[in-house]
Amino acid sequence: MALSIGSVARSTWKTLSSIKTGVVLIILVIIFSIAGTIILQRPMTDPDDMARAYSPAMLHFLDATGLTDVFHTRWFVALMVLVSLSIIAASVQRFPNAWRYFARPYKSPDDGFRRVLPIQAHVPITDEEEGLGAAERAFRHIHIKSERIVRPDRFSLFGERNRISEMAVYIVHASLLLIFAGGIIDALYGWRGFMMLTPGTAGNQIEMRNGSVKSLPYSIRCDGTGQESYTDGTPKKWWSKLAVVDEGREVSSKEIVVNDPLVYQGVRFYQASYGRTGKLDRITFNVTPAGKTGPAQEVTLTPNQIVPLDADTKVQLAEFIPDFVVQDGHVYARSTDVVNPAVHLIVTEAKSNKVVNFWLPEIPGVAENASSPYSFQPKDLKTGVFTGLEVSHEPGQWAVWAGVVLMAIGLTFVFYVVHARYWVVPVQDANGNLAMWIGGSANRNRDAFEQNFKRFVAQVEKELKPKFVEAADNPSATLPKTTTAGK
Amino acid sequence: MARAKAEQHPATGMTLIVMVGLTIAFLLFIAFLNVVKSGNVLSEANLLYAALVFYAGAGALYLGFGVTGTESYIKFASLATWAGLVANTGAVAHRWYEAGHPPFASLYEMLLSFVWTLAALTLIAEKRYAVKVIGTVTMPVAIVGVVLMQLLRSEVRPLVPALQSTWLHVHVTLAMLAYAACALSFALAMMFLIQDKLKTETFLAATSIFTVGIYAAILSRFEGMGGFNVVAWDVENKSEVFLAKNVRLFVTIPDLGWLMLLVFLAVAAPLTLYIVSLIRKNDVLLPIANRAVFIGILLQSVALVVFVIRVRGESYLSLDDGARYPTSLAASPFILAGLVGGIFANLLYLLLLWRREDLERLLPDSDTLDRITYKTICIAFPLLTLMIAAGAYWANRAWGSYWNWDPKETWAAITWLVYAGYLHMRITRGMRGRVAAYFAVGGFGVVMFTFFGVTYLLPGLHAYA
Repeated sequence: MALSIGSVARSTWKTLSSIKTGVVLIILVIIFSIAGTIILQRPMTDPDDMARAYSPAMLHFLDATGLTDVFHTRWFVALMVLVSLSIIAASVQRFPNAWRYFARPYKSPDDGFRRVLPIQAHVPITDEEEGLGAAERAFRHIHIKSERIVRPDRFSLFGERNRISEMAVYIVHASLLLIFAGGIIDALYGWRGFMMLTPGTAGNQIEMRNGSVKSLPYSIRCDGTGQESYTDGTPKKWWSKLAVVDEGREVSSKEIVVNDPLVYQGVRFYQASYGRTGKLDRITFNVTPAGKTGPAQEVTLTPNQIVPLDADTKVQLAEFIPDFVVQDGHVYARSTDVVNPAVHLIVTEAKSNKVVNFWLPEIPGVAENASSPYSFQPKDLKTGVFTGLEVSHEPGQWAVWAGVVLMAIGLTFVFYVVHARYWVVPVQDANGNLAMWIGGSANRNRDAFEQNFKRFVAQVEKELKPKFVEAADNPSATLPKTTTAGK
Repeated sequence: MARAKAEQHPATGMTLIVMVGLTIAFLLFIAFLNVVKSGNVLSEANLLYAALVFYAGAGALYLGFGVTGTESYIKFASLATWAGLVANTGAVAHRWYEAGHPPFASLYEMLLSFVWTLAALTLIAEKRYAVKVIGTVTMPVAIVGVVLMQLLRSEVRPLVPALQSTWLHVHVTLAMLAYAACALSFALAMMFLIQDKLKTETFLAATSIFTVGIYAAILSRFEGMGGFNVVAWDVENKSEVFLAKNVRLFVTIPDLGWLMLLVFLAVAAPLTLYIVSLIRKNDVLLPIANRAVFIGILLQSVALVVFVIRVRGESYLSLDDGARYPTSLAASPFILAGLVGGIFANLLYLLLLWRREDLERLLPDSDTLDRITYKTICIAFPLLTLMIAAGAYWANRAWGSYWNWDPKETWAAITWLVYAGYLHMRITRGMRGRVAAYFAVGGFGVVMFTFFGVTYLLPGLHAYA
């Protein structure tokens, strides 16, 4: 007995759409997510820290199973796809039923329905038309438009409110799928990287997370950057003035701060960091002729700039080292932090063709400070700053935000909007007395609805009363008989 | 027989009152010391102190009702909660005014808002749904919160650039509302379990597992020959001492480890007795287990007092670098919270043990409680959803990515999934009653882990909270 393709598909569909499968999938997602928060994750954690935390064998195992980057492994993505499929299947499975509710409301209740409906009441009447008229007025009182349903064998009233609530759960599920779709689009087509700019420069190279470099078809120019601090020195604000230059033209510009990025063609530039480059911007000296007490002049130098000191003498800033160290007669930079700076100056006298190389501060054996015709007193040092920009392209994010808004709307309907239905049918009881059967149903929040229903029945009776005076003697007419058989 | 009688005897109740009174007096004393230290009279610290006094008073009255069964206590407890809420509101307003932003920027400020929301929701539940004794569960949580605040850093700190966003405020406001609603659903689920005739010894097992868990976590700091490791405190900078980024320096308090081990054994005793009686299928051992709970509370109180005395202002040797460092209660807020939380959990159990009939008489019936639990989760779930969405939107503006899978985000998603599971089981599968209540209790456990556990146990971007 071979399984037909149809039966396999049917049973797959059935499994996929069952709530049990959904719960199992959710539990799996939870387990793997927990693993992802407990086990150190790859791109974020330093490789050294990983090596310290786990033994090599363990690390090998974790890497092989993808547990060191749970959220980006194929099988986690596959799991999310399965969850999506399960949501789709479950929704499709249940949709027709809900759609029937929605598209073809049950307006004319038959005997069977009337017997089992949990919330119902009987109100005695003398005349059908009079009773239905009173019921219609009661409907108007609670702001529900009622309609008269005429069937060959029956004759009744129907009124309802918020039918859309039956569809709400599908809105929520659709919104979740929209969010997933956005996430998948971003996982496939989105990218993230980092670029560093110094004021006055432009660039289009982005250093990607995986170490590769991406070139943008336009470039970003930095027109200035800075930091504002609180009085205690903690940073208050980082800002950068950015301009987008496309084919030589400035097409967009903005001063960005943290939490407020520049967006151009779907690519976002975020203020991520700010700092000093360790490169010299400019340095100012008080310069006096050596050995003489002449008037001091103030000289400002930028890298490699040549500045005349007098008619014959020139000075050039040859080198700047932010954190210097001397080894074997050479000067090296230890780091890019400006903690121990040194400058290399070259003073040239044109007439005597004399070139003096010297360092500030003086480094014995390397420089010839003593023979300089001028002495230099450093006064002010300005190093360059850079702005660090996080660059990201997330083409799917609009689907995500649309999904979030849709979900908020859907959840509001799911939890707070009740589909309430009322039926009014004139009936004759076993003794031949005329009465109105009134039934009500709500898809959630039954107890609150029960109160509303009682009020509605009381209103119907009130509308009946002026013409039905003897009702005052009849307790069953003033107290609506509301039965609430098993929920 | 004699033993069973002794448990009903008012004299035991008196002991409890004295014990609770002493514990509260002690807690107030700690708070008072902090107030004196701060110096100025009309300040946020004092408002908070007032809130603590009223909340503690309310908690004591709820417990007092439990011991004596006097219903008028509950009315006064409710009044005390109102007074505490007023003082708490003052503290929040003061903080907001002084900082210039809503109080959500640090763990301290978030606790401030959380306790406020919890007290407000307690009063709403009391007035709107007539769940009169809900404060018995929520007030201890509020008290632990305020005590924690006394110890955490409270000076207004300037906001670093990433935190200057309206979306952050939206995010955290929603988080506090959602978490407080979850806390309420937890309390209601517990009350449902009481009304649902869940056996008293099952509660014994639950509170014992909770306490054993706390002390097992505390014992992870056990060191060599009975020492106990706590984080060193830098008095000048008012912060923990760090060896490297996220690596704290520990000092070892000699002999305290033995005491903690002793308490661990004491709180494990009722659980062991419960398990033995479960295996033997008879109840003979249960009265002994209840006795053991009582002894456990006494020993826990001793542990709390000794811990506080040894930690305050003394310096101890560090095994990391052999030097002496001071430590402070502020360096170990979670150990302290664990110690206090364990005592409260066990006291609540005793309350149930002795006053179950009164509780059952005063609580709404189980159907109502089941329904209100569900309704509370119906409020919590949309709030959780919006909280995550606002957080994602903020992250997108600050870091350029709406979802980073950092532990806090992941755990928020897990919380959301758990409650989504609850709603699906309830709506499509008609899950009611006990299973639903267990679900609600478990959900709140996940919320607590997301709130505290992730911050202190797992690394991530959410460094400020």
